[in-house]
Amino acid sequence: MVTTKHPVMRNIIGLFIVLSILIIMPSLQYALAQGDEAGEYLDRRVVIWNLFFRMMTVAFVIGAVVSGTLIWLIWRFRESHPKATPTKYEGTGALDE
Amino acid sequence: MSGHSHWPEWIYIGVVVALLVWVGAEAWNLERLVEHVPEDAKVIKVTGQQWFWTFEHEDGTKEVGELHVKKGVPYKFEVTSTDVIHSFNIHDYVVLMDAVPGRINIVWFVPFDEGEFPIQCREYCGLIHYNMRGTLYVEDDA
Repeated sequence: MVTTKHPVMRNIIGLFIVLSILIIMPSLQYALAQGDEAGEYLDRRVVIWNLFFRMMTVAFVIGAVVSGTLIWLIWRFRESHPKATPTKYEGTGALDE
Repeated sequence: MSGHSHWPEWIYIGVVVALLVWVGAEAWNLERLVEHVPEDAKVIKVTGQQWFWTFEHEDGTKEVGELHVKKGVPYKFEVTSTDVIHSFNIHDYVVLMDAVPGRINIVWFVPFDEGEFPIQCREYCGLIHYNMRGTLYVEDDA
């Protein structure tokens, strides 16, 4: 039973409970449910390639998202961007000392 | 702690943790499947030595530099070495296992396609390592 009174901690614990129900438990169930079919032999070439393919798909998607986010951040928060707002230090001379 | 909201960071952490769990579960599961040797697998003793491979079938038949197997039959390789560390590799069937002196390592496979496939050593083992090759012959029993 979650007894913490701090709202942030409660949210974090709630998030992990939801994640574990949605992702971790099905993964374990999926993993433990396979592998003992009689008379059927797995093809190493296929299963190893499939794992590699799935991992690479995830890796490239993450790579694209992270790279895209970085590029957007650099583009959006450059000093010359039309919507750029000056910091409270700019123009005060505080940065020149 | 600054006053801004932290939920994007926790979502980020949650996604990363979930992905790591998924990657770990998938890899662990595949390793479990690949290492699960079928009970009806035929045993072949594989011995590496500078610079050739020797194969011994269950009936005592020995082959040097070539290996004849039947299509669709599972084989369990017991891999060892008599001198230095080699690595038994059938590239086309993704079979790769170190041959270590004094140790028997297990790897299994089922040849699904007829034909001739190269066997090679994948661990540098001395001067003629490059030529420590063999041939796998997969024959149809029918």
